Amino acid sequence: MKQILMGNDAIALGMIHAGVDMVSGYPGTPSSEILGNFQKYSRTFTCNTYAQWATNEKVGFEVAYAGAISGKRTCATMKQVGLNVASDALMSASYIGLKGAMLLISCDDPGFYSSQTEQDSRSFAKFARIPVLDPSTPQEAYDMVKLGVEISHQFESIVMLRPVMRVSHAREICEVDEALHVKPLKGDFERNIPRWAAVPPAGRFRQGLEQFERLDVIKAWNWEHLIEPKTKAFKGEKVLCLTSGTGDGYVREAISELGLKADVLKFDMPYPLPKEKVEALFEHYEKVIVFEEPMPCIEEQLSSPKLYGKLTGHLHKIDEFSKDKVLNALANVGVIEPLNTYKNAKYTEELPKRPPNMCPGCPHRDVHYAITKVFKKKKSIYTSDIGCYTLGLNQGAIDTILCMGASVSMASGFSISDPDKAVVSTIGDSTFMHSGVAPLINAIYQNHKFVLVILDNSTTAMTGRQTTPERTNPHQIDIKRIVEGCGVECHEYIYEPDLNKTVDFIKSLQECYKTATAPVVAVVREFCVLDKERVEGHLGNAFVEVDQDKCVACDSCITTYKCPPMHYNEAGKIEIDPFLCAGCSACLDVVCPTDAFVEVKEK
Amino acid sequence: MKYQIVIAGIGGQGAVFLVKVLSIASALANQKCLGTENHGMSQRGGSVSCYVKIGDFYAPAIDEGQADLLIALEGAEALRNIQYLKKNEGTIVVNADKKFPKLDYPSFCIDAFSKAKKKEFPIDALNVYMLGATLALDPHFPFTCKEIEEAITQMNAKVAQKNIAVLHQGINDAKANA
Repeated sequence: MKQILMGNDAIALGMIHAGVDMVSGYPGTPSSEILGNFQKYSRTFTCNTYAQWATNEKVGFEVAYAGAISGKRTCATMKQVGLNVASDALMSASYIGLKGAMLLISCDDPGFYSSQTEQDSRSFAKFARIPVLDPSTPQEAYDMVKLGVEISHQFESIVMLRPVMRVSHAREICEVDEALHVKPLKGDFERNIPRWAAVPPAGRFRQGLEQFERLDVIKAWNWEHLIEPKTKAFKGEKVLCLTSGTGDGYVREAISELGLKADVLKFDMPYPLPKEKVEALFEHYEKVIVFEEPMPCIEEQLSSPKLYGKLTGHLHKIDEFSKDKVLNALANVGVIEPLNTYKNAKYTEELPKRPPNMCPGCPHRDVHYAITKVFKKKKSIYTSDIGCYTLGLNQGAIDTILCMGASVSMASGFSISDPDKAVVSTIGDSTFMHSGVAPLINAIYQNHKFVLVILDNSTTAMTGRQTTPERTNPHQIDIKRIVEGCGVECHEYIYEPDLNKTVDFIKSLQECYKTATAPVVAVVREFCVLDKERVEGHLGNAFVEVDQDKCVACDSCITTYKCPPMHYNEAGKIEIDPFLCAGCSACLDVVCPTDAFVEVKEK
Repeated sequence: MKYQIVIAGIGGQGAVFLVKVLSIASALANQKCLGTENHGMSQRGGSVSCYVKIGDFYAPAIDEGQADLLIALEGAEALRNIQYLKKNEGTIVVNADKKFPKLDYPSFCIDAFSKAKKKEFPIDALNVYMLGATLALDPHFPFTCKEIEEAITQMNAKVAQKNIAVLHQGINDAKANA
């Protein structure tokens, strides 16, 4: 039957239809909706499944992997940088293999829309020597989930599905199964110590050889089932385009819209490739061009003087694909003259920049503001982490962003390398649970002196408010007790939209810091303004406007507080957009040096 | 039939809602549909641009010089995306006041913010209001009012009546304006 599905929806439905009944992962754009949608479909189809957010991607991977060893069909979901966290487990698991099936879904983000790197998960699959499927649309993602689960079982290997953002967040009318045809498999762990607990060197050496044998079998299968049937459509043109994933769509559209002559071969499984068989196809062509994103995974597996791609410098090396880039590549290789078909003039006047910003009423803004107010910039270093609060960058309240959990370990490093400055670190509750606890233990046992502020809104806000351990189980998991368990006091502040109180709290931390010989740790109990359960009563109580006579256009509100409703009007004074103001009233005090912010009187 | 639509706005204005409505409308009209939308970092009050491609397409994104229609929920976001329009013929339907600059494209400006300020319709239905305006103003728009109404109902039956009322307000205001 036909159904309109977003890519991540299609993936989740495919998992249900493939008989997957165990899913674990960690949210990260563009992968976040998969697990939640799987929970939704589990209810729709009344399937008794396990689908939970893990504390991090490595934990999620390992939970799913144990399920696959026990004979179940399982899945781990994450974004590409999450795969870095899970990679320790992946590299070994790929030697060991499995009994049931395991689909590892790692979503890539060409163009850096929501990620700190543009790394290619297909290249990671190549590194780990597991097969990878690369869908180009939601329909293909659905089909490839089913295929991936099937061949994972067949080859006893983890199979990766690598959708990019333009697949995960694409929407398409898809043809999907109506009913469930596949029953989940029963878990039954069979003891096999030489396999599941293989130790180096002998055990792993043997498994390493098996891994190569397995790859040869998969390469042959890739040729027979996925590559050779497509060569039947070749028309004997002079140019062959090798494509994978979204690259295929751009190539096909450009070729058909411009009536260009070229054969196209799409690799559904871009790794492992049967190198010799694929290269033999080149014989009939003058030029072979590889269209893939974001990194040259296919190109690295092939070699021929006829081959052009990112490695030869004929295609863009960074950023997402487009049809214009397809034409550029064809022109660079000398197949066509340069064309401007997919170029058009941009608007030339300056437009207001609209970087993403924290929501109006967000408590993070107040904490960032208070930290920079109390710990002066010249004598401080502000380390921060991955989450909504990263947008404190807009307030000039963040000096470093690296990866999940690095705010804490880098605070340690700065406290050693530049001890004349105070280091103030901010991290969210979900990121703290993900990878902030280990560096905190490290800092406490080595007596590193810095301030750590844990911003606890009790949700994974940035990726769509997925649940967190302490939200689901507050009686057992609590940040304050975790910090105390590590051996230091945990200062606690229940956030109020009153900047005087927030600033006073940060001042109290500064006092502790002066005489501290270990990290000064605090938790701020916040809420997310988009979190309907928690936000009630906090917003809309008092709205603010600007006394136009008192505003001296000093910029301080829009540079250090940076709440979206604040903007300059035509008179050159600050104004508050009533459509955007959340009515938190936090800006009434402290923010404006001339006290121009006043409460809106009842109308 | 091939029709490519860019929907531009600011995070929170409901551009993604329109992608969903248009994809349902495509299904109702028996058309293929491929689109793409912004999530995550792009959501937090930042610029948002979504694509809907109706007909035979393989890639979800729209290239420069290709769109038949740009629906913009805010003026600056319209200007930020004009390069996606077909040269000289792509149509713009934009929520902007009279200060919106003259462009080499057929442009229709609706000052929806001032109407919302006068409480003529709720601001959180701005997206549906502008879709109504599009129905009235774009002569090549590939869906009928009935198909859009049905799509809005399928999206969320509970608030469908309210949304359809705003849709018609958008249609009527645009007609009165034109």
